[in-house]
Amino acid sequence: MSAAALGAQVKGFHDTEQRFATAVLRLDLLLFLAAIALAATGAYVVGTATRGDIPGNPDYYLTRQAAYCAVGAVLMLGLARFDYSRLREWKLGIYTATIMLILLTLAMGTATRGSKRWINLPFFKLQSSELGKVLLIVALSAFVVDRIRRLSDKETTCRILLLAILPAMLVVMQPDLGSGLVYLSIACAVLFVAGTKWTHFLVIGLVTATSIVGVLVLAPAAGVHVLKQYQVDRLTAFVNPTDDPRRQGYQLKQSQVAIGSGQKTGRGPKGASQTKLDFLPEHHTDFVFSVVGEEFGFVGAAFVLSLYALLIWRALRILTMAKNLYGALIAGGVTAMLMFQVFVNVGMTIGIMPITGVPLPLLSYGGSSVLVTFLAIGLLQSIHVQARASAAAKRRELLA
Amino acid sequence: MVQVDRRVGLLFAGFLALLGAAGLRAMWLVTLEGHSLRSRAAAQQVQVLKAPARRGTITDRNGVELAVSEDSATVIADPRLVHNPADAAARLAPVIGQPIDTLLRELGDSRRGFVYIARQIDPSRGDAVRKLKIPGVDVTVEPRRRYPHGMLASQLIGAVGTDGYGLAGIEQSRERTLHGVDGTRRVVSDAIGQPVSIVDLKPSSPGRDVRLTIDSAIQEKTESVLDDVGRLYQPKGATAMVMNPRNGEILALSNWPPVDAQHFGDAPAYARQDRAVGASYEPGSTFKAITVSAALQERRATPGSVFDVPPVLQIADRTIHDPETHGYESLTVAQILARSSNIGTDEIGLRLGRYTFDRWVRRFGFGRSTHVDIPGEAAGIVPRPAQYSGSSMGNLPIGQGLAVTPVQMAAAYEAIANDGVAYTPHVIEGGRPRPRRVIDSGTAHEVARMLEGVLGPGGTAPEAKIPGYVLAGKTGTAQKPVAGGYSSTKYVASFIGFAPARNPRLLVAVMVDEPQGSIYGGAVAAPAFQKIASFALPYLRIPPG
Repeated sequence: MSAAALGAQVKGFHDTEQRFATAVLRLDLLLFLAAIALAATGAYVVGTATRGDIPGNPDYYLTRQAAYCAVGAVLMLGLARFDYSRLREWKLGIYTATIMLILLTLAMGTATRGSKRWINLPFFKLQSSELGKVLLIVALSAFVVDRIRRLSDKETTCRILLLAILPAMLVVMQPDLGSGLVYLSIACAVLFVAGTKWTHFLVIGLVTATSIVGVLVLAPAAGVHVLKQYQVDRLTAFVNPTDDPRRQGYQLKQSQVAIGSGQKTGRGPKGASQTKLDFLPEHHTDFVFSVVGEEFGFVGAAFVLSLYALLIWRALRILTMAKNLYGALIAGGVTAMLMFQVFVNVGMTIGIMPITGVPLPLLSYGGSSVLVTFLAIGLLQSIHVQARASAAAKRRELLA
Repeated sequence: MVQVDRRVGLLFAGFLALLGAAGLRAMWLVTLEGHSLRSRAAAQQVQVLKAPARRGTITDRNGVELAVSEDSATVIADPRLVHNPADAAARLAPVIGQPIDTLLRELGDSRRGFVYIARQIDPSRGDAVRKLKIPGVDVTVEPRRRYPHGMLASQLIGAVGTDGYGLAGIEQSRERTLHGVDGTRRVVSDAIGQPVSIVDLKPSSPGRDVRLTIDSAIQEKTESVLDDVGRLYQPKGATAMVMNPRNGEILALSNWPPVDAQHFGDAPAYARQDRAVGASYEPGSTFKAITVSAALQERRATPGSVFDVPPVLQIADRTIHDPETHGYESLTVAQILARSSNIGTDEIGLRLGRYTFDRWVRRFGFGRSTHVDIPGEAAGIVPRPAQYSGSSMGNLPIGQGLAVTPVQMAAAYEAIANDGVAYTPHVIEGGRPRPRRVIDSGTAHEVARMLEGVLGPGGTAPEAKIPGYVLAGKTGTAQKPVAGGYSSTKYVASFIGFAPARNPRLLVAVMVDEPQGSIYGGAVAAPAFQKIASFALPYLRIPPG
């Protein structure tokens, strides 16, 4: 091997190292740490809450959740190095894929008379509505960027909303009401960040309020039942928690009992009897926050909420830094997705929001949810990396 | 981008506000409701239950078990945790043998948090229910009472309620001895009602055993004899008592019709009653021995004193007849007793006078409790002399116009049989019954000798004989009082006797309430006495004499 070749190879190594170092340096470290801390807390709490639930494999959920988190973290770092701007060109493909995926799940579930919420893959059950969240953010943001000049048109707002309502209705049919609501909140957030007129939001708000009142109050009074009684019960149960296990408010009551009995510093993973004795339903998925409350008390709950506050703060900061509008809109959508899920899930466990089956990002057990959240954070990191890179480039131009 | 920044600020402010609201609500739950929510968690997870003590055993004098406690399975449910009541009912029904709709009604009542599905069933069935693993349905161990000898002495032994407390008989009166001390145990259950840990907080201490003076062999014989009486004469009821006159120990106490102790509550009240202590009746002629004893003790007559007995005797508004019509006769006291002459006995009674007569009636123990250790004893009814009407001294000496219980009657004859000394009748071993002298030993012997004549030729029960043994006793055939007088169809036939007559060690009292066909004590009750005694005398190795 010649000295020149060796020199070139060394330089190659050096470049790679340099690129890697800059890529790592350009990550938003606080966002990264907040995500990792939440994922670790989630894995720990899921592990303690479910220890022994599967006979013969006490750490079944723990090992799985840890594996999902590891894979998710790798995906996040991979996506951070990818320039999100290229996704804009594939918007139609991404949007169509989202719709097809949701339809496929519905069709397969119907054909096998099984669940209509996920597709069975080897090692993994893919929940299409979860993946749809991040895909929809990417696609909708692109559509909004395309029409940014006609943003004040009512038609633009209506089109974007319809593009979100279509997949939302499909997942509500699965039935996954929570994801449907997430889609709508994503659409609103993207429009909001893009700068849609306040009057449009006023109209959206009025229509939403009218339809809620119409579905829950006026239609039943007129003899038309849009929702099934159990769905109505589920949505309104948070108003009156109950001790009757056959009624929807029971989960809520048990969740409040769990959080309340955790008191200030919690009863520890061993003393958390609400969780251990299965009084708290879905303790590793929808009600994982109640487990945090029971095991670690108000201190634990405040710690988790602080991590989410940190996460959202960094997300919004990235939104303002984005090198282009597309990045800002994606960041807005991701922020809305996280905010909505955190608030609705936590609100559900403490009895100030209806039960809608929305997972707590990074804490709730579930591969699809964990991976998709990491992907969304990966997008944020990508926006951050690109913003830092273009800022550096601009600085070099100025210096040059 | 200025506008974007402002909107982002709004977004973050909005999020912080919501997060703050969530934090405040969590704080509210933790601080203000924390204590009550924690106790609520404990209330639904932890139950402190009674751990029933093992109930003591009731045995006969030889240790034969008459009532024992054993573990049984009780199926309970929390209907709120039963997801599919119809399915649960359908699966439970064949195992516990109850109709599906009954079970469905219990399991489907989601307003309740606790129902009994089946109580005190066989442990094997309980295991079968456990294997079904129906959420919300649980099986606990509960002691249940068993009576290995079925209906034997069931009115005496009594019964225990499902909750483990004695309801009747010895089970009730000896409750404190038998019950023991219940303990408490802490049961932690999971959300579908399955217990995950059971800790004894306070262990229960078992009840003590109770040993009766009953001899189950004699008891069995007595019951089979009463069974025959029941079949032959179709009475309303029959009662028999076997006693050791030397110490007041009750060896057998039987009431017909029998009652299944396992389903005690299902029997009619009359059958449930221990009539040996609880039923008052007009004794009739068996009471004449008391009148005669009093007269002898008061030296108003001797066994050989002769009385002029007219065909009829008018006392105030009442005309007294004898069982068999006769002319003017002269009868000794012994003959009066052997033939059971009403007129002769009244003449003896009239010699005593109402006050002396009353004193002796009460001294023999009538009109008050005998203090027998069996619950539900009646005192009987003995009128005060001041209340006597003109004809009372025509009624009372022959056992009319007063009410006694079989145990009072047996206790009175005990004094005659036991040299004038009566011991309190008792059925529980270990007590020290106090002797009470009623009459002089000489008087007792004289009366006992005269009672031999009842079973001899010319007596009212000549057929009752046991080879080798001399028997003594008295028949009774009493019309039952009805509104406005005495019934002409309803009688009480009775016999009280003891053996061997000169050295009595066995006393048997038989009372048959409303026999059909024959009504006479000599025909209905005396053969029962004969059958019981002819079994018990050799069984107890009492030498002939």
